[in-house]
Amino acid sequence: MTAAPERSAPPRSSRYYRPRRPISLAVLLVGFVLGVAGGLYTAWELAPVEEVDTAPWQLSRQGQAEYIVAVMLAYSQDSDLSRAVTRLLELRVPDPIQHVAEVACDLARTGYVAEPGGDRAIRAMMNFYQLQGRTGCADQLMPGVPEPSPTFDLVIAATPTLPPPPTKTNTPEGFIDGPTATPTVRVAPTVAPQQRFTVVRLERFCDADFAATMEVYVQETGGTPLPGQRVRVRWNDGESIFITGVKPGRGRDYADFTMEPDISYTVDMPGLSDPSDVMISSGCFDATGEQTRASYRVVFRPSF
Amino acid sequence: MLRFLLSLVLGGVLGLGVGLYLGWVQFPVEFVNSPISALDPRYRDDYTVMVAQGFQADADGVGAVQRLRVLGVENVPEYVFQQAERYITNSRSPQEIQALIALSEGLGRTSPLFDPYRPVGAP
Repeated sequence: MTAAPERSAPPRSSRYYRPRRPISLAVLLVGFVLGVAGGLYTAWELAPVEEVDTAPWQLSRQGQAEYIVAVMLAYSQDSDLSRAVTRLLELRVPDPIQHVAEVACDLARTGYVAEPGGDRAIRAMMNFYQLQGRTGCADQLMPGVPEPSPTFDLVIAATPTLPPPPTKTNTPEGFIDGPTATPTVRVAPTVAPQQRFTVVRLERFCDADFAATMEVYVQETGGTPLPGQRVRVRWNDGESIFITGVKPGRGRDYADFTMEPDISYTVDMPGLSDPSDVMISSGCFDATGEQTRASYRVVFRPSF
Repeated sequence: MLRFLLSLVLGGVLGLGVGLYLGWVQFPVEFVNSPISALDPRYRDDYTVMVAQGFQADADGVGAVQRLRVLGVENVPEYVFQQAERYITNSRSPQEIQALIALSEGLGRTSPLFDPYRPVGAP
């Protein structure tokens, strides 16, 4: 019978003699990597920082164009080039002045020029970049500024004036009998024609989707929309003036006003119409039976 | 097994903290293609002043209202009026205040606070 061979003891430096760590570095590292990945996914996808301090360079192309238009309008008023360029630098574009030329080109190609103030805005941009020696396609797309109309040969003012005294200079007789050129006579109106409006329709309606809303339409006699008309709503201790056509989705003749409950309102066009009948947004039930507050629809048209 | 789980959880927690710090502080999401209505209040104020200066030049109230509508403002005259009053209260630039007053009054809102800022006519 032979004895089992005796195993040799591991050396004293072997890890078998070291106390075991409570954590594994390898697994810790794996967990760390997974944690970082999870943290970044959370921070970038699940719960990103909220957008609260948007700067001009972060705006969409349309937003940047609107910002540039505002800068150019301000420049057209104060002619402060340094300030305009400082504002444009907020867009973080390599060449802000050429960028203005490119945006003017884009706007001139679109229907922006037909919007209120659009033509003037593009011309302000053109003036800005042309003064800095730049060019853009807007130079070709936008026709030149129309020349002032020819001067009148004779203007008869509305105010009556006495006939001039006869001249004391003798007039050669031959001139009396000869043909005389008839001067062109144009009458310049001294007062812009004023169109008076009247309320042709005032109806109360009940719709929960448009609760307590005063819808105002200003139209030509035939129903053609009239944008840019000032409309005034008055109540017992205040008034508000708004303008038609600023909500293009609702029509170019449309403007609205939110009514407070149980307050009496009248609406008119300042200087152009008499006040309407009194409107009060009281409670009502719409067609679906939902309880809401009454709204009004008012239509102004020329009174002649 | 306990050692494995402990290591994984500890590493995960550390990693999560580092990941959130990187994602929220060091390299946060930067928004682009934002609408102009999301502008920082400082830039909104500046934008409004610029539009008001444009109004001073062309007296185009409709154009000014349309340009301010894109800020998402419900009541443009009231918005301009309040900014004018705030600029007066904060003693901002007289030129900017005058522009805001011109636009506010052009849109039908005025205040006794505006009186000192109106241009004085020549005698």
